Amino acid sequence: MGDGHTNRLTRFRLFKGRQRSPSVAVPDQAETPLGETSGIRFIVGFVRRDKIALSGAFGIAIFIVFSVIQGLLELLGGYLRNPSLSYLLLPSDPFTFHFGLELAPPSLANFPVGLLGYDETGRSILSRILYAAPRDALASILIVVSAIVIGMALGISAGYIGGWADEILMRITDAFLAFPLILLAIAMSLILGNGYLVVLITLMAIWWPTYARFFRAQALSLKSRGYVEASRLSGLSSARIILRHIFPNSIDPIVAIATLDFGNVILTYSTLAFLGIGVTVGVPEWGSMAAQGLSYAPRVWWYALFPAIAIMAVVVCFSLLGDRIQDMVGGRISY
Amino acid sequence: MDSKFLFFVARRAVNAVITVILMIALIFIIMHLVAPTPEDLARLYVGPKFPPAELKLIAQRLGLTQPVYVQFVTYVTGFFRGNLGTDTIYGIPEILVIEEYFPVTLNMVLLGTLLGVLLGLFTGAIAASNRNTPTDYGVKALYLGTWAAPPFLVGVVLQLFLGYGLHLLPTSNVANPVLSVPPPVTGFPLIDSILAQDWTYLYSWTRHLILPAITIGLISFGSITRLTRATMVDALDKDYVKLAYMKGLGQRTVVWGTAFRNAIIPIVTLLALTFAATVGGAVIVEYVFEYHGIGFFAVQAAYALDYPAILAITVIVGFSVIIANFIADVLYGIMDPRVRLT
Repeated sequence: MGDGHTNRLTRFRLFKGRQRSPSVAVPDQAETPLGETSGIRFIVGFVRRDKIALSGAFGIAIFIVFSVIQGLLELLGGYLRNPSLSYLLLPSDPFTFHFGLELAPPSLANFPVGLLGYDETGRSILSRILYAAPRDALASILIVVSAIVIGMALGISAGYIGGWADEILMRITDAFLAFPLILLAIAMSLILGNGYLVVLITLMAIWWPTYARFFRAQALSLKSRGYVEASRLSGLSSARIILRHIFPNSIDPIVAIATLDFGNVILTYSTLAFLGIGVTVGVPEWGSMAAQGLSYAPRVWWYALFPAIAIMAVVVCFSLLGDRIQDMVGGRISY
Repeated sequence: MDSKFLFFVARRAVNAVITVILMIALIFIIMHLVAPTPEDLARLYVGPKFPPAELKLIAQRLGLTQPVYVQFVTYVTGFFRGNLGTDTIYGIPEILVIEEYFPVTLNMVLLGTLLGVLLGLFTGAIAASNRNTPTDYGVKALYLGTWAAPPFLVGVVLQLFLGYGLHLLPTSNVANPVLSVPPPVTGFPLIDSILAQDWTYLYSWTRHLILPAITIGLISFGSITRLTRATMVDALDKDYVKLAYMKGLGQRTVVWGTAFRNAIIPIVTLLALTFAATVGGAVIVEYVFEYHGIGFFAVQAAYALDYPAILAITVIVGFSVIIANFIADVLYGIMDPRVRLT
């Protein structure tokens, strides 16, 4: 990472013919690791011109907006004890059995209820997939945001303070990094009881180490920059330097990693659900739907396949956008 | 082998040992957080089927009523002596269960990781040297597809098409269950069957290994392709590559002989991470293929509420990941001497 953007920086400067002189205190903006090619506005502008990334962003927007509305409706429906509220947006009730439609194949007959076929009790698979979306969205957002916050706090303090604090924090990070995610989640759900919340907490507790390493590398490379040294000489406290200089300048490259990571969280979460970890019996979940559907495969291919494709579609959207953002902040815009 | 390099290796080794102790401490802390009283802890150790009065006795017998720091020292020293608790289902020390299942998984995971790494390096280099051509986009589509697919989907699709559809390969088990397993000398099926000169078993084992290993390779190669492509794109812009072209070398020689050799160095650090991810991913692959390794055993243990087993497996897998990290660090130090200075 560090190498990537130093490269880009030198190339960028070469391009503009500007010389880097560490003895001169330059204004902050000129020495941010990303130079002029940075900022959310630039990313948005670039994504707008790129059809593939744009389609990814579009997919993510639909997924998030739908999940927020659907999630709120589910909460409201649960709160008011009025289940019909929670499937206001769905083509059909995802819980009521329809005997006679058991394992019926996808058809256009009862559009759009039967579009993706029916499960073993005649419930519409499309409705159940849509009903499950908010849980995945909530998991990915919560876990990535908490990973960024924890990783930032530990990584920046390790990199900026250095010395023994760095050693200790990095060893702890390594120890966390060594834990096999899926196994720990299984162990936790076994001991604490099987539930969505347990899986969320376990993943939140263990997802941050890569971010800590990344923020540490950023802090190390930023620490010796001219403007940080200048502000230290002018008497700014460490806390202020971290808040005003280190943090804003290291957050941009994180956007790319985080975008890719949303997909990873969804994959991990659905893998756990596939094994039956963190799911409530009866409540639809992409991974567990695929697992149930597999017992009817390959004749009833739609039951297992469509939930799996839902997972894949969301992850592909995040990857398309994240890949392109990474290309930009990593400086490989020479497409 | 200068003294500087030895110092570098020693430093990394000390780091690895500290990391292992920290990891065990974390497990210890987690256990004590979720089971604050001695009785709860005893329940963790012996399973859920004892009444409270007996749990009290068990807690005393296992030394769980002692002060926390004494328990911690016992726990850490126990780990280094190979004491990971007793399995509540089989009633034998956990380490024996792990000895039986872990080599099977390790064999598969190492082969799968190797496949993934080779595939990733190859496709990444091809994509970088054909930047912005249909080949590049094809590679991207390939790795995005396998990477974004949930691991169980990759496994199941392979199982359905190559196994049940074309009848090319067996879809479950480590080897044909009719065959008797060669006497365990090392625990690794490959070495054991060669030692016993049991070629039928070796053949059957190899055929059963192919599908899980391919699955692991497919789900893990995407990240390597991405990194290889990125570092190769950087390397191909470097002056030494331009010099190589100026010398009149062909594109193939420049790409594979010059740029590739320089670009793969940072990928070594990714190897350990890939290994960590695939050992975790082995759980789901083994579950799909009913491959009786540590991951399959972990899932069975979870369904049987066998707490010590699952904790022991977590610790052992974490331990092997730390070892892999250490090896990758040392390899990186050998390949890139600049690293030794830090």
